[in-house]
Amino acid sequence: MDVFGSFALVLAFVCAIYAFGGGIAAIITRHPLLIKSARQAGIATCCLIFLATLSLEYLFFSDNFSIAYVVSHSNRDLSTFYKIAALWSGQEGSLLFWSFLLSIYVFSVLLTYRNKNGELMPYVGVVMAGVQIFFLTLNNFVASPFKALASPGADGVMNYVARTDGNGLTPLLQYPEMVIHPPNLYSGYTGFTIPFAFALGALLARYPGEKWIHLTRKWTMIAWMFQSMGILLGAHWAYAVLGWGGYWGWDPVENASFLPWLTGTAFLHSVMMQEKRGMMKVWNVWLVFITFLLCILGTFLTRSGVVSSVHAFARSSIGAWFVGFLSLIILVCLGAYLKNRDYLKSENQLDSIVSRESSFLFNNLILLVACVAILSGTLFPVFSEWITGDRISVGAPFFNKVNIPIGLLLLFLTGVGPLLAWRKTSTESLKRNFGWPLAIGLVAGVIALLFGFRQIYSWICLILCVFVASTVGLEFYRGAKVIRARSGASFAASAVELTMRNTRRYGGYIVHVGMVFVFIGLAGAAFNRDLQKDMRQGDSMKIGPYTLVLQGFDTKPEKNYTAQRLLVEVLEDNKPTMMLYPEKRRFTTTEENGTMVAIHSTLQEDLYVVYAGTSPDTQLPVIHAYLNPLVKWIWFGGVVVVLGTLVALLPSRRAVLVLSGVQQPAAQPLAHGLAPSASMREGHD
Amino acid sequence: MTKVRPIAAIAMLAIFAMAPLVITPVGAQQLSDRAKQIGGKFTCMCGCSQVLTECNHVGCSTSAAMLKELNQSLSRGNSEDAITQMFVQEFGTRVYAEPPKSGFSLVAWVLPSVYLFVGAGVVIFVIARWRRRPAQQVSLPGGAPGISPELLERARAQASRETQD
Repeated sequence: MDVFGSFALVLAFVCAIYAFGGGIAAIITRHPLLIKSARQAGIATCCLIFLATLSLEYLFFSDNFSIAYVVSHSNRDLSTFYKIAALWSGQEGSLLFWSFLLSIYVFSVLLTYRNKNGELMPYVGVVMAGVQIFFLTLNNFVASPFKALASPGADGVMNYVARTDGNGLTPLLQYPEMVIHPPNLYSGYTGFTIPFAFALGALLARYPGEKWIHLTRKWTMIAWMFQSMGILLGAHWAYAVLGWGGYWGWDPVENASFLPWLTGTAFLHSVMMQEKRGMMKVWNVWLVFITFLLCILGTFLTRSGVVSSVHAFARSSIGAWFVGFLSLIILVCLGAYLKNRDYLKSENQLDSIVSRESSFLFNNLILLVACVAILSGTLFPVFSEWITGDRISVGAPFFNKVNIPIGLLLLFLTGVGPLLAWRKTSTESLKRNFGWPLAIGLVAGVIALLFGFRQIYSWICLILCVFVASTVGLEFYRGAKVIRARSGASFAASAVELTMRNTRRYGGYIVHVGMVFVFIGLAGAAFNRDLQKDMRQGDSMKIGPYTLVLQGFDTKPEKNYTAQRLLVEVLEDNKPTMMLYPEKRRFTTTEENGTMVAIHSTLQEDLYVVYAGTSPDTQLPVIHAYLNPLVKWIWFGGVVVVLGTLVALLPSRRAVLVLSGVQQPAAQPLAHGLAPSASMREGHD
Repeated sequence: MTKVRPIAAIAMLAIFAMAPLVITPVGAQQLSDRAKQIGGKFTCMCGCSQVLTECNHVGCSTSAAMLKELNQSLSRGNSEDAITQMFVQEFGTRVYAEPPKSGFSLVAWVLPSVYLFVGAGVVIFVIARWRRRPAQQVSLPGGAPGISPELLERARAQASRETQD
């Protein structure tokens, strides 16, 4: 099966080269057969990558310990669940997994638009094939996951060998989230290839109008949604496994995943400027380019070892390939822009500073400042070493100080932006839209002060969260009220109808509500408490309303590890509430330790209990307990963000009605690249 | 009045930009123990990139040894500066959890504010340029003589586009 996998990868590489070269030839000659064959080569590439990935999974499931990658990342006792995850647990497999996810996107795009957008698609196909060639080069020639295990014989010649068992999967990865977190994050990273391919393709083809924006909106949202899910699942994994009581440590790899999310978010907002007003065309194209570049940069940071991180793969020479690829992309993007920049001239002018347009500009500014500040902080140790010879660490305290004010400013704009009108917002409108939310926010602030809220950032965050939630609530209320008055339906049904009539707008509002929940959770971090104690059996420790009593400990042998558990009884206000079982795991094959935090989570707070090892002084087990307020809101907010994005991806009900009502005019093409109104709406919704 | 708005906006941005330099992190105030407070300014040298007092990896002997060293130093009556010097001598400048606000490290602190000011300047410049641009001529619908159906359709499409969200 390893030969089959290797062969499939080589063939995929050849097909990708044909899709790339044939695509360029098709663009030059406009020959329909060439266009078709390049597209089919692209589809074949995807199928072959799929087969190669399947082969590697088969090698894991069949415990084939003659393959170096399988030996390094699996063992016989590893559960089936984690054998799936073993695929992306190392450098070689994760790069194949990257190619696999990218091929799913490419396959979907090539099939979806096989008979549409004939002038643009060959360009898009060439760009996608170019990206695939890079990753297939790595899969085939730099980091092949199908390398056979070999050891030097007595004569110095390498002999192929097979082991009876493997080294097993890294303990930190043996956690359910690690089975779903990387696929989500990688789906985000790879997904941004599609808007990049369309943006670059449209620029190269000088494709008329904003159609490429309409075509890529859903792909961008899908990539953004996966990126969001990936980041939050990663944060949850860090929270539940690493045992330090937090979920975000501003680690370079965490930052690398956050950067394209920030620029992707900026793009999802600024793209509306182009759709509505024909503005910011240059900016949008560059925002897509930068987002894709940051995805590749993030991969480079994770895999090259240029920055130290607990999440990074082993230090390797693969970084040089990424630097080369990054440089090539920058050159191509710059070249395409300089050659065709006249195609990106904006159409409209700004009527007023107090307008939706301005709010989007500031929203983009804040997101980009956050992105650049995080990027420069992440790379500062490298630069400081180059310039001064000393590597200066930039850790969580720096990023918190810099990003908390930026985050609050962004939260403020989240509330303000949607309520400003396009073109110009009158004073009356400002009063009508902002009066109540502002008053409610301030009242919430006063109440919080009365209840002893003294952390300045958390206090501002609370006011802004209430303000944003009120603005969104008011929007839903006003819209639903109108529908209710006309249809007589219940308020809830009217709100649903309102949402379905303009899924993009109201889905976006739901996403904003999700972000409010996330910010509420983040604000809670200011009130975290923790306590560490050496505990004898029967000893107790008190944290907040909880008393923890160590009732005993046991050893639980499992198939792949042995767990040492502490049996901790929890009393809430002196009443027995539950048992918690924080544990330490000793993995037999790797002889490494892992931890399993016991968490009792409520909307109010998390009781987070870690078995922190044995005290060297007293030889007693050490319990480290944390009381982390509002953490659950972050995960809940993440769910709401995903739901909102899914709503925004649905077609609006009104669009369907309009389309069915104006079939005749819609079928007639208009001069100068002007689309009929019905199809314009289709693109929007 | 219109000139006042950008100035007010810049002033607000400036306040937010300078905040990181003057406001103590909220987490630090939570730490009651002095050792924990000082330990919060260093990075654990086990390679996890976490703050010393937060490194809780099972089996991490580095953070335990560093915290012990810190405690011993405090019990000897050493000042925070002396402890900082001790760690920097032992581990190099990598031990800082955040760059010191002096020398080349100051660049790290100044850069975010520079980004914000430069970005704000660009945004204000763009807004000013867009404001100067002449309004687009869009003919009114209603069958006025000389208006082509294409132009009418274009105006309708634009109106629909701009009023939808």
